[in-house]
Amino acid sequence: MSVKIPNSIGELPNSNPRFIGQEVNRVEDPALLTGRTEFIDDLVLPGMLHCAIGRSPFSHAKIVSVDTSEAEKLEGVVSIATGKDAKELTNPAPTAPEGWGVHCLAVDKVRFVGEPVVAVAAVSRYVAEDALELIDIEYEELEVIVDAVKAAEAGSPLIFEEHGTNVMMQRVFTWGEVDQAFADADHVITEKYRWNRLGANPLETYGCISKWNVLQNSLTLWASVQSQSHVALGRAVVLGLPSNKVRVISQAHGGSFGGKGGFRGPDIAAILSRKSGGRPVKWIEDRMEYLGGGAGQSWDRHYELSLALKNDGTVTGLRVKLLDDLGATAEAFGTVSAAKPLAAFVGCYAIPVAEYDLTMVVTNKLPGAPYRGMGPPPHNWALEQTMDVAARALGMDPGEIRRKNFIQPEQFPYIIASGNEYDSGEYEAALDAALEMSEYKALREEQARGREEGRYLGIGLVNTIEPGVFDWNAYAIVGVQGTGVPEGVTIAIDVMGKITCKLGFSLEGQGQYTLVTQVLADYFNVELADIEIVYQDSLSAPPHFGPGGSRLGVAITGASLGAAEILVDKLCSVAAGLMQTERENIEFMDGFCRVKGMPEAKMHFAEVTGAMLARSDLLPPGMDPNPQATYAWTAAGRTPVDDQGRAKSYLTAANSCHVVLVEVDIETGHTEILKYFIVDDCGTRLNPSTVEGMTQGGVAQGVGAALLEEYVYDAEGQLLTSTFMDYLLPSVYEVPMTEKKALVTPSPFTPLGAKGAGEGAMHTTPAAVMCAINDALSPLGIKAHEVPASPNRLWTLIQQVKN
Amino acid sequence: MDTKRTKQRVQMTINGTSYSDDVDVRTTLVDFVRVNCGLTGTHVGCEHGVCGACTILWNGNTVRSCIMLAVQADGSEISTVEGLASGAELHPIQQAFMEEHGLQCGFCTPGFMMSISEMLNRNPNPSDEEIKDMLGGQICRCTGYQAIFKAVRSAIDKMAAEG
Amino acid sequence: MKPPSFEYADPKSLDDAVRLLEEHEFEAKILSGGQSLMPLLNMRLARPQLLIDLAKIPELDHVREDSGTLVVGGMARQRALELSPVVRERFPLVYDATMLIAHPQNRNQGTVGGSIAHADPAAELPALVMATDAEMIAVGPDGARTISAEDFFVTYLTTSMEASEILTEVRIPALAPNTGYSLQELARRHGDFALAGVIATVTLAGDGTIESGRVVLFGVGATPICATDAERMLAGEQPSEALFEAVAAKASADLDEPLSDVHASAEYRRALAGVMAKRALAEATARAAH
Repeated sequence: MSVKIPNSIGELPNSNPRFIGQEVNRVEDPALLTGRTEFIDDLVLPGMLHCAIGRSPFSHAKIVSVDTSEAEKLEGVVSIATGKDAKELTNPAPTAPEGWGVHCLAVDKVRFVGEPVVAVAAVSRYVAEDALELIDIEYEELEVIVDAVKAAEAGSPLIFEEHGTNVMMQRVFTWGEVDQAFADADHVITEKYRWNRLGANPLETYGCISKWNVLQNSLTLWASVQSQSHVALGRAVVLGLPSNKVRVISQAHGGSFGGKGGFRGPDIAAILSRKSGGRPVKWIEDRMEYLGGGAGQSWDRHYELSLALKNDGTVTGLRVKLLDDLGATAEAFGTVSAAKPLAAFVGCYAIPVAEYDLTMVVTNKLPGAPYRGMGPPPHNWALEQTMDVAARALGMDPGEIRRKNFIQPEQFPYIIASGNEYDSGEYEAALDAALEMSEYKALREEQARGREEGRYLGIGLVNTIEPGVFDWNAYAIVGVQGTGVPEGVTIAIDVMGKITCKLGFSLEGQGQYTLVTQVLADYFNVELADIEIVYQDSLSAPPHFGPGGSRLGVAITGASLGAAEILVDKLCSVAAGLMQTERENIEFMDGFCRVKGMPEAKMHFAEVTGAMLARSDLLPPGMDPNPQATYAWTAAGRTPVDDQGRAKSYLTAANSCHVVLVEVDIETGHTEILKYFIVDDCGTRLNPSTVEGMTQGGVAQGVGAALLEEYVYDAEGQLLTSTFMDYLLPSVYEVPMTEKKALVTPSPFTPLGAKGAGEGAMHTTPAAVMCAINDALSPLGIKAHEVPASPNRLWTLIQQVKN
Repeated sequence: MDTKRTKQRVQMTINGTSYSDDVDVRTTLVDFVRVNCGLTGTHVGCEHGVCGACTILWNGNTVRSCIMLAVQADGSEISTVEGLASGAELHPIQQAFMEEHGLQCGFCTPGFMMSISEMLNRNPNPSDEEIKDMLGGQICRCTGYQAIFKAVRSAIDKMAAEG
Repeated sequence: MKPPSFEYADPKSLDDAVRLLEEHEFEAKILSGGQSLMPLLNMRLARPQLLIDLAKIPELDHVREDSGTLVVGGMARQRALELSPVVRERFPLVYDATMLIAHPQNRNQGTVGGSIAHADPAAELPALVMATDAEMIAVGPDGARTISAEDFFVTYLTTSMEASEILTEVRIPALAPNTGYSLQELARRHGDFALAGVIATVTLAGDGTIESGRVVLFGVGATPICATDAERMLAGEQPSEALFEAVAAKASADLDEPLSDVHASAEYRRALAGVMAKRALAEATARAAH
């Protein structure tokens, strides 16, 4: 049967949908609010042991010897694992590109401070940490390389000797006649930018319980993970298990933002479980482990960006050169963030040709991991600042130069130079709405008055694309294979007519269980409380991925609608038999299977399922008594990449326009955000309060990125920002309250016309704040092109122009 | 006990129920609450007193239980998130958080709500500045705080209406 | 991040506490509010053999006024200062300094004595006692002695107290008549330690000139720093922006070796201290004039 997913709310079989598109209380909330939701560290299993991991104090060193004999004697210690065990029992981590991964416990050498070297399973975490202190490890220090530029040069110390280079990948992707465009340009603007390491930092760190089955050599893993099937596959590869001998149970988790993917801990705990006779081993990553050794560092980037322009501000070409420092290995999949910019390379602009000169290097720092937005947040930040530089050079208002270059509504669906397709958008409408909401003219007047008083006010006016609904081909250029990310659900209706929806992901914060409940309640015309969401583990659930790449809202809506349609088709077949007519005479509306043209001849779906399950005598011959249907949704029309990495990858292109007013105190370099306006358009808003939450959460992380957050390494590869005293997360004082307005330009391609929105304002806020700072400081001739724009950094720039 | 010791029997009354257990003196208060007492609604986010996920009330005052020892709370009255609701009936603060969408992943939420409950116990009508001061000690990575602020204002109204 | 093993004692009298400290000398650590010590224990950066909890010792947590002096027990919680009507109304500088300490959740636990004895140069309370010429009462095996603020801070995290002494009381005099105060600091986030901060007090004479001033810089050296040479420039002068700039410049220039860390270079701290000093002097003078 070919399933047709409705593209708008109006197409649902409900004459008056009550829930989709409304702000409803979340079904997840009562358990979360009463502290009942079970996070990984809340789970206790019989016989459970606790793991502590001993980590390298050096950033680059040979491991000479490991002596665990004293630790073994400590009361309460049950088993100890070293690199020898990892080499014997596991494979190196899979990576993209291939060949840049290592074993979960260091074998011959360590490549970053914090790299796991040994691990202990004991009766408590306290004792396990005591045991670590009794393990004697001798290291022979090697030359350290932490500078990405130097790492790319020949003759620098090698992180992976076998590769003979620290360059994981170096390629130039050329889309169109770029050289010609730059040669013909009236103006060429070239700017350099530096985005320093920062990262996700969900309030809950990573954690897992690994339980090895010694009888059949299989693994059960409970973990704080985003994508249980993805993690299961990774464990199978690393632990050398058949893929159906790994069961992953994804616990509700306290945020993720990209990083909860399975980085070493579960494999280490699995080794310990195996060595402990199969006892479950719990490993909870503590915050210092997260900051220095977990999936919390991303986007260590050096950019050079060039625009080719005509005199009237039309951008005719874009060149982006990126040197991406991925840290010591590619095991945490930070590399995909270097590929994702292709999905929205030109932003909102109809730039016809472009080039991407990408170099990815390894250095003796923590392996980089994905973070919300993946690659576009720094890319957008560099692009939008360069548009402002161009605007200043041409004497144009930043809004004007953007308006000049927007892709126009009638051009959609629009294939951008780097190959992806944008589904729909009204960028001018968003810009106009933002200008009106912010009273832009008045802001400029306020700025002018400020200048007379010696105050440095600045306005940032930016717009970006926030790509949604990822597909694997977006990361093909770094070696990720495949297309299609199926997300499936099974909908079942019981003999009492109550509806259950089984799915393969747990809570992360985006309210997806509520979304599914809204969709099904409207589809079947019941109350929210009549739907029960049932979580299923990686071996039980239909094909699934879970949250990631702003996909789940769209994907799970598609899955739910598809399964509902298949199920309803079945019910209508049964109803036709029961009402003694043909299938094609039956339609489904408002919860009833009814005869077309005879609305009084109808059966409620509960009657139908009741008959299916309890009145087999009434069923048509051959009809299986199973009121259940499974459907896996994946984006249609995805294409394999061509030789320049071009493909239709991310399905949707939400867009937003931010206007920010800041003040920079030029005596101290401190930036204060005074006003913040957001217009966002993510198509049909399935749950407006969820979208607002994603937006405002993205603003907070964006402000952190722009002003506060940075991991600092010294020349020896030691992490200087190893606690929350030095890695600074924004509080209520640092995050502005924002004024928001929504536009709705539906997607023609998606379930109900919704676009992915989960990564939200993280794509846009760093650009907005940075552009505002540069606008404030432009009278001084200052270009602030490094984040975070800390007071010290801005002060230093200000001093440089004073002298 | 006046003697130096490495173990101690600790007793505390949590949400009106008495709990006691033998502990190593180095056991933190948050670990005692979560592991020895099985009250896992209070969460651990940093173990160095910055994020506020572990915030509970100790004799009516908010404290960061990850940087307190269980022995320091021997004989005390403790309030945690589990004590807010009455059965299935949510506390006004919880109800407000739900209605204003003041939570997303919910991991930081118990800590926020305990801080808010200390504040409103002390002063049922705080100013925006006072609210900010109290919220400033709690980190949320999901919401961006705007909905949390609205939830506090809503909780204040609800509690005032209850009288 | 679990603490290493240690012994714990909660003496019921000051004598018992002092005796335990004496017995264990450098192997014992005092647990007061725990806001500085416990994170270090969780990170295993501190490894005392014995933790001495002062919480059970009576009469160490008072906050009261005694003939114009604010008398605060060493174990008084910082929150008690914040909530005390006496402090709010009659010692506004103390109130302002307290409100900049971290967050209410820390202030509920953190103690006045603990913060001052810990002697973090970026903390507000050590700077406060310097700026107000407060007195510290230290009790040890030889009894009680009074230590002036000037003599109290030796270097980074080190005071002139002996290992076996306990800070039992802090006496903060009220500001003199016709004195205005100001506390200016810049931190990365609200509640963080200051990158650089200044507490200034200015006393005006009857004719509107400055009789004297106090400028204490914190967050920039190994202890809070009294900018004595800069302060002398104020006496007898007519208040003006130019004066404040000159005094601030001197205070900044006189800094020996400002601290340098990931948040602020030495050069930036030096400059920031000057800016904070200038602003603090202006605000203190304006307040004194009212």
